[in-house]
Amino acid sequence: MKVKRLFQKTLFGVFSLFGFIGLSTSILCVYTVDTHLSEEYVSNSQDIAKTIADASVDILLNRDLSTLQSLIDQFVEIQGIRYIYVTNEAGEYLAHTFVPGIPEEILAGDPSNTETVDRNLPGMGDFVEVGSPILAGVAGAVHVGMDTDLIALKIQRAIGQQVYLISIVFVVGVFAAIWLVNLAARPVGDVLAYAVAVARDVGGEGEDAVDARHRRVLERDDEAGQLARLFLHCLRNGGPGEARSGAAS
Amino acid sequence: MFTRRSIMTTGLAGLAAGRVFGASSAPGAGVTDTEFVLGMSAAFSGPSRGLGIELYRGATAYFEHVNGREGVGGRRVALKTYDDGYQPDPSVKNTMTLMLEDEVFLLFGYVGTPTVTRVLPMLKKFQDRGMYLFFPFTGAQPQRQPPYGDFAFNLRASYAQETAGLVDNFVRVGRRRIAVFYQADAYGRSGWAGVRAALGRHGERIAGEASYRRGTQFTASMRPQVEILKAAEPDAVVCIGAYAACAGFARDAVDLGLRVPIANLSFVGSENLLKLLAEGRDDPRAYTDRLVNSQVVPSYEDTSIPAVREYREFMERYDPEPPADLVQEAYTPFPHSFVSLEGFLNAKLLVEVLSRLEEPPTRVDLERAVFSVKDFDLGIGERVSFGPERRQGLQQVYYTVVDEGRFVTLDDWQKRFAI
Repeated sequence: MKVKRLFQKTLFGVFSLFGFIGLSTSILCVYTVDTHLSEEYVSNSQDIAKTIADASVDILLNRDLSTLQSLIDQFVEIQGIRYIYVTNEAGEYLAHTFVPGIPEEILAGDPSNTETVDRNLPGMGDFVEVGSPILAGVAGAVHVGMDTDLIALKIQRAIGQQVYLISIVFVVGVFAAIWLVNLAARPVGDVLAYAVAVARDVGGEGEDAVDARHRRVLERDDEAGQLARLFLHCLRNGGPGEARSGAAS
Repeated sequence: MFTRRSIMTTGLAGLAAGRVFGASSAPGAGVTDTEFVLGMSAAFSGPSRGLGIELYRGATAYFEHVNGREGVGGRRVALKTYDDGYQPDPSVKNTMTLMLEDEVFLLFGYVGTPTVTRVLPMLKKFQDRGMYLFFPFTGAQPQRQPPYGDFAFNLRASYAQETAGLVDNFVRVGRRRIAVFYQADAYGRSGWAGVRAALGRHGERIAGEASYRRGTQFTASMRPQVEILKAAEPDAVVCIGAYAACAGFARDAVDLGLRVPIANLSFVGSENLLKLLAEGRDDPRAYTDRLVNSQVVPSYEDTSIPAVREYREFMERYDPEPPADLVQEAYTPFPHSFVSLEGFLNAKLLVEVLSRLEEPPTRVDLERAVFSVKDFDLGIGERVSFGPERRQGLQQVYYTVVDEGRFVTLDDWQKRFAI
């Protein structure tokens, strides 16, 4: 599909503009998805930690630790949650999901601190850990570790889907732009072809002898038809000056 | 597959051909004029299948004996079984099927804490059906206390009693630094809590702890766990797990030089543990002479006990097979085991309870029938009583060690384990 030289710059401009829009949209999308999903995961983890903390009050006061372990074992089955541990007010680890043991990095921390922290646990990976106090902290705290690698993978997947969609729209847009530009350029080409045909026949049998295929442009009611008729008028009247005076009369 | 099922169909001969009741005296769900249908979900596959299989075999030996005579009040006892592989979700699904589709009379012989703790809320949810869980093979607390204690009856002593006994004896012989190796689930936590509480009474804390995932095979390395506990320099280790993982831990502990007494709870499945540790070794004693296992039934080697003699006789006479359609993996049953003896005693007491039901038998009458059991002689020396404040029949814990390739009663802690 050859684009008329007259419109190549226009087409380049369209591509550039579309590319810019696509790129900026992708960057915004990456940022938005990354931010929102990360916030959502952290928020969900906090909800889970709070749910366990609320349920733990009754379990710690009235029941036994196997029930608490059973509770956190069910929550750790949720995708993205890699570990949960529950401590009492003295910092003792009452229930957890670590195998083969509680990592040193966690043992070295302050279990009463329920602020969100980033953790790197050797052999396990990177995590965002959120916490929730049990009974306002006087009965201990619940900590939930979210696997950031898994979060990153999910974010990448979400972003990939967005970029994939934008790429498809871009490719379709490029072909559509070329087609539209060519559609717009075709009447100009017709006028040019008509002018060339008439010019070749100058001093010959006159414009009536021009191929009917090229004369069809004279029938158009758009700017291309007007241009062709103006050109014919000029030709019949001997030149642009004649045409101007003829057109004025 | 966790949802296959099997129905014990043996022992039909000689039963009453069907008793005629008036319309107003029809038996309740799970009971017909000719049989009681009980439901069981247990591990018949996976690394803990030996527990479900042996418990089933022991119970079946007694049921076959009863069915071969006149049944219970003319009704045979049928056991509808499902495999849950010792996994909570299949056990919940199996229980739904047993309660809502099969409509069994009661649930019996469930295996494991992580499974039972997930099933208990279902019993509360469907409490209008009056379903009870009888004699689960777990010593955990949830089925012994509110809010689910009213839906279960226990025969065996609790893990709290087993761990307290082990800790008390270790401390008495000078071993105060106790570490815990446990299954990372409700069962492991239940035992961990028992050790913690027992140590707390002696002014001590758990010296070190390491865990493993449920379903770990004997072939898996326990080196990380052994190294964690070795660093704690314990005087003894209490294991709260199933036989495959606990045998793996004991093996690696010996290989890595952690030479301290290693205790296991009754749930471990002592014979399977011993088989894994001793089989194919030139010197099995090196791996077994520091083992001490708590038990909730007396030694099946002690034939001075009437119930043990009865158990051995019935096991030999009926030689119960594992449920063929549930057991797909290779398994060689033991002639006798602590687990099958427990299953036998469970069945014996359940038959006694069923025989105390008024006609027509209904679930509504079950609790009264259980509470009517007072000072009942099961034949093991300790008498069994139940009541509103006593939903656990036996309290005694026994201790066994390996001697000449078999578990025997430990008589002298001081001599065997003193520092």
